[in-house]
Amino acid sequence: MSIPLVPQLLRSHLKELADNDQRLDGRNQYQGRDLELEVNVLANAEGSARVRMGDTIVFAGVKFQTMTPYPDRPNEGGLMCMAEVRPVAGRQHEAGPPSAASIELSRVVDRGIRESGCIDTAGLCIIPGEKAWQVILDLFAVSDDGNLFDAFALAGIAALRNAVIPQEKFEIGEDTPLVVSKTPIMCSYQRVGGRFVFDASGREELGGDERIHITLGDDNHVHSLQKGLKGAFTATEFTELMAEARKKGDELRKMVHALEGGN
Amino acid sequence: MGYGDVQMIDANGIRNDGRKAGDVRPISIELGVVPVADGSCRMRWGNNDVIAAIYGPMEAHPRKIQRQDRAVLDVRYNMAPFSTSDRIRPGFNRRSREISKVTAEALESVVMLELYPRSKIRVEIEIICAEAGTRCVGLTAASIALADAGIPMTDLIVSVASGKINDVVVCDLNKSEDNYGEADLPMGILPNTGELVFLQMDGDLSPDEFQEAWDYNMNAAMVIHEYCVEALKTGRYPQ
Repeated sequence: MSIPLVPQLLRSHLKELADNDQRLDGRNQYQGRDLELEVNVLANAEGSARVRMGDTIVFAGVKFQTMTPYPDRPNEGGLMCMAEVRPVAGRQHEAGPPSAASIELSRVVDRGIRESGCIDTAGLCIIPGEKAWQVILDLFAVSDDGNLFDAFALAGIAALRNAVIPQEKFEIGEDTPLVVSKTPIMCSYQRVGGRFVFDASGREELGGDERIHITLGDDNHVHSLQKGLKGAFTATEFTELMAEARKKGDELRKMVHALEGGN
Repeated sequence: MGYGDVQMIDANGIRNDGRKAGDVRPISIELGVVPVADGSCRMRWGNNDVIAAIYGPMEAHPRKIQRQDRAVLDVRYNMAPFSTSDRIRPGFNRRSREISKVTAEALESVVMLELYPRSKIRVEIEIICAEAGTRCVGLTAASIALADAGIPMTDLIVSVASGKINDVVVCDLNKSEDNYGEADLPMGILPNTGELVFLQMDGDLSPDEFQEAWDYNMNAAMVIHEYCVEALKTGRYPQ
C-alpha cells in the first residue's frame, strides 16, 4: 500500500483558501458538487442506482438470496451491505483484500441503513426458522474523486427503494417491491484548511484532516455517526454540522423520492 | 435443459431476440467515463455493460516486475457482484484469472510496450452487467480505453463471438444462446490486418460450421471497428 505524500504546499494552499472562505473548485463551504442520481440502471440487479458527484462515480446493486434465519431470530431475514473500492476507481487503489478504509466505508453505510430500521427484517421471513430473504446491497466505486461515503449511501438507499424481490425466480410467488419505510441520508464533512466543508473532493481529502459522517432519518433522528482520521473537533462545530446535515438531508431525500413510483 | 432442448431460432431464421443469424446486438460506446483515469471507456453491447479504465504508464513496483526493455501490462478482468443473475462473491476466481491472462496477452500484441521500458500500464476491466460475451466486450473496451489514454498501439482489437444454436451458426450469442447453444467461438481481431490476437472455442462445430462462424466474426469485427473509430473521434457512439 502506497502512502500518499501530502505536500505541505497543498495544505498551505487549502488553508489560504479557507481563510478567504474559498475552495479549490470555487464552491461554498457547505455546497456539494453537481449531482446525478439514476435508478434501475443495471439489468441483472434487482434494484440499482448510479450516483455521480463531480468526478466521483459509484454504482449500487441489490441482489436477493434465500438464507436460513439465525437461530436467535427465526422469524427474520437479513441485510448485508458490502462496499468495494477496486483499482478501477483510482491510481491510489490497489488490488487485494479489502483495505481498512473500504471496510470502514461499507460498515458506516451499512449502519446508517440498518439502524434507521427502514428495512423490516421480519417482513423478509418466508418460512419461520427455515427460509428467509437476505438482501445484499453491493456498492461499487467506478471513479474516486473524494467522498465515496455520501455517494455510496445515496446510491445504496436509492437502489434499495427501487428494489423488487425476485419471488418468481425462486418459485415463491409473484415479484413484489421491497418495502423500505424510510430514507436515511448520509452527509459527510471534512476539515480542510482548518474548517469543515461538505462533500470534500479528492484533493481536499488529500490535504484535509478529520472527517465526520452523519446519517439522519426522515424525522431527523440520528442513525449513525462516525468520526474518521486524525484530528479533534469542538461541540460548537458539531452542532453546526448537524444543522447543515438536516438541511442537506432533506434536499437529498426529496431527490431520492422524486425517482420512485417506476415499479 | 441441455443441448437442443430449447428452441432458440424459428423456421424463418429469426432468433429469440428478433435478430437474424448474422446480426450483432446493439452497441454503444462512451469515452472518459472514469474521470480520474488516464483513459476509459464504457461499452454497452446487448445487456452487457462494461467499464474499462487505464492508469499509466506509471512506475512499476515492486521492482522485480520491471522489464528493462518494455512496459508490463497489469490487466484485471472482474465481474461486479450484482452483474449476473446469481450474485457473485467478490474476489478473483479461476475464471477471471484466466480471462485476465488471455486478455493481457492479446493487448500485449498491439500495445507498443517497448516505448515505455521499466514502467507499468494498468488495465482495469469491470463487468457491471453481464449477458454473454463479457470477455469480448472487455477486450474491445480495453483496447478503446488504451487508445483514449493515448497509448501507442499498432491496431485496435475488436473481439466478437459466434456460435451454434439448434444446428444453425449465428453471430454474437446472447444469454440463452450461450447457455443452451452447442458451440461458442470468441475471437480477437485486428481490423487493419485481419490478424488474430485472441482465440478460444468450446463446443462442437463441423469444418463448414467453423468456417461460417469464423467468417461471421471477421465481418462483424469490421463493422464494430467503425463504431470504435467513431467513438474515438467524437467521444461516443452512436451520437
